[in-house]
Amino acid sequence: MGDEMESLDDFRARARTWLATNMTRRAGAVDAEDLMERSSQMQANLFDAGFAGIAFPREYGGAGLTLEHQEVFAQEAAPYEMPIAYVVSIGMLAPTLLDNGSEVLKKRHLPRMLRGEEVWIQLLSEPSGGSDMAGALTRATRDGDSWVLSGSKIWSSGAFTADYGMCLARTDWDAPKHRGLSMFAVPLQGTPGLTIEPIREANGNAEFCQEFFDDVVLPGENLIGSENAGWSVAQSLLLHERNAVAGVGYGVGLIGGDAEEGETTFGGPTVAELIRLARVRGVSDEGPIRQLIAEAYVQSIVSSQLGQRVMTGMRVGTYKFQWGSLPKLGLGVDVPRLAEIAVAVAGDEGVIWEGDADPAEPSLFLLGCRAVSISGGSNEIQRNIVSERLLGLPREPSFDRDLPFNEVVRNRGKFTGSSA
Amino acid sequence: MRLELSEDQEFFRETTRRFLESEAPLTRVRELADTAAGFDRGWWLKAGELGWTGLFVPEAHGGGSLSGRPLVDAVIVAEELGRLVAPGPFLPVNVVAAALAASGSDEQRAEVLPRLGTGEMIATWAFAETGSPWDSGGVGLVAEPAGDGFTLTGTKVWVEAAAEADQFLVTARTEDGLTQFLVPAGTDGVVVTPGRSMDLVRRYGSVRFDGAQLPASAVVGDVGGAAADAERQLQIALSLQCAETVGAIDRVFEFTVEYMQERFAFGRPIASFQALKHRVADMLLWVESAKATSDGAAEAIDAGAADAPLLVRAAKAYVGVKSLEILQDCVQLHGGIGVTWEHDLHLYLRRVTVNRAVYGTPEHHQERICRLLEI
Repeated sequence: MGDEMESLDDFRARARTWLATNMTRRAGAVDAEDLMERSSQMQANLFDAGFAGIAFPREYGGAGLTLEHQEVFAQEAAPYEMPIAYVVSIGMLAPTLLDNGSEVLKKRHLPRMLRGEEVWIQLLSEPSGGSDMAGALTRATRDGDSWVLSGSKIWSSGAFTADYGMCLARTDWDAPKHRGLSMFAVPLQGTPGLTIEPIREANGNAEFCQEFFDDVVLPGENLIGSENAGWSVAQSLLLHERNAVAGVGYGVGLIGGDAEEGETTFGGPTVAELIRLARVRGVSDEGPIRQLIAEAYVQSIVSSQLGQRVMTGMRVGTYKFQWGSLPKLGLGVDVPRLAEIAVAVAGDEGVIWEGDADPAEPSLFLLGCRAVSISGGSNEIQRNIVSERLLGLPREPSFDRDLPFNEVVRNRGKFTGSSA
Repeated sequence: MRLELSEDQEFFRETTRRFLESEAPLTRVRELADTAAGFDRGWWLKAGELGWTGLFVPEAHGGGSLSGRPLVDAVIVAEELGRLVAPGPFLPVNVVAAALAASGSDEQRAEVLPRLGTGEMIATWAFAETGSPWDSGGVGLVAEPAGDGFTLTGTKVWVEAAAEADQFLVTARTEDGLTQFLVPAGTDGVVVTPGRSMDLVRRYGSVRFDGAQLPASAVVGDVGGAAADAERQLQIALSLQCAETVGAIDRVFEFTVEYMQERFAFGRPIASFQALKHRVADMLLWVESAKATSDGAAEAIDAGAADAPLLVRAAKAYVGVKSLEILQDCVQLHGGIGVTWEHDLHLYLRRVTVNRAVYGTPEHHQERICRLLEI
């Protein structure tokens, strides 16, 4: 890469022109119909124009630019519909593979991921525990050059259609919990021994799945990072996940939507929609309702400004990459609050509808809003990260950190409260 | 509290901080609590030397900004003032300087701006009135044409540094709209009643105009055309106020987290209790958000952005509410020592509470946001 890097201004001008001729301006909420197909076409176009994986090295299919360029692109892309279906694969999994994968895996998969031909998801949480991820019980056992996977993962979105899952499994049961885990690339389509079941959520949707592994055989090269170093790969994945959810890092720009216009990416109402709801009910001149609408407006502005600040801090080096936890926590607090505001403003119209009409949006949003404050590390986990890693306060005491994992499992149900 | 400052701006922040630490430490603030003015005019001249009040003043009149964006530069000082809950009429002097630089007559600019810049003259903005304060629509003070000039009748309230001011910028109502006047203190028919505030060193007063006679040359800008000027002055005031509050909460958050690591209970630093750590995490989110929105407002105002009226009100609404929540919780985290006169927390609690109210409460500005959104 002897040639000089494109300046931010030149890049911005090129992105602006390209977006204006090749992408469609957003109108209202993202239409879920044909989302994957539309995203796939858009991602391919982005790739061909050199706007996919902007901060990824060229040898892996990226544009070889910087996160600053990615941020500029996101600013320019805000008014357009973007391939939001790739936020997980490109914003979270691809950077994790870039950080941790072998050359073989990176060369084979990253270009396909960036082009949108191959979609990856994460397989981290298990039915036995979400926040305590290092307590994973899914097992991977060596068998010659291969690994044999058995157990179950849960809360993975889009496992039905995805091509690969990044799966955290226990490879050493005698090591302490964080030191006996390894990460694997698991093919999801037509894999013998793998069953995928949808989970129906409170709002009626089925975005998430549970996977059952019944002696699934994986080639040795599917190990990501080294054996028993899976926890650091998982940490890297969680970091990219928080950043992507918070709208910072490698995936920024894939979501589209202008927060300053009050547009949200979580299905919540825009400020314009709240105003419409208030007018429908004839309460738009009531003081308390107006205060709630203004609160939602202020929150949408401030949340976008905070995201930009954290991005800037990461770029100039004042903030470590872990600072993505701060806007992630912000969303986890704000989105449920926005749902409360929506039902307050909508009143009866938000919870009752006529005949066979679609359920009222505020009711669906309220039932689904907790996904934001629980997934990707719950608000409580983010608060631990913020206080311990960002501010350096003492860590939570751990009762199982140094015990062989076998004994931790055996000790369950006999908690005495004494720290190990 | 921008993360990207130029070398000049970094140096400016550093000299401002060092000056405040040596010339206006909190012990000095406590001494000034017992004085009538709440600050020392000799000290204010030194502040003028540092360039605090010249940022909005054109170079031709002895001033100049560091970056060509005077408000972004002034925000640096305001943040430092907040960190030490410092005394001095920084906000009103700069609001008037910005107003005169933008709309003053050649004579007013030549006469007043250099002296505001050096600190020898103090000016303040007389805007709010009881009933419907901090809003152009609430201006009822009447300026009636009389001969070649005007007669002013009415009362302005919550005028910062009123008793110390040498000049008042008065927003009045004339037949065809709002008109602003530059009125020297001591003009016949102008009566200042000093007041005190919850803040130990910040004074506000009321200014009554009993048919005060002013020449036409006292008009600032166009007769009947001052609404946009008043709005810009309010934006600058709100921005500087938010920046000061941001400095205050930043400092309080800093020393609260330090204290929590030193204070032991049940054999552990209280900073190790999850119930407290989680509150600290929320506070960092609020502090950083407050910095982000305060900076966003200042940049928008300097750039004359179309959404500046909304962004500055969003900043005031957010900073006003969260600053008080943060202060209250920091008092709680300190425990008993936090409610004593001896501890400095109450100095900060006082400042942010006054700032929450003055120039319009968060609730007031949220209502204004609704109007701007045409709800």
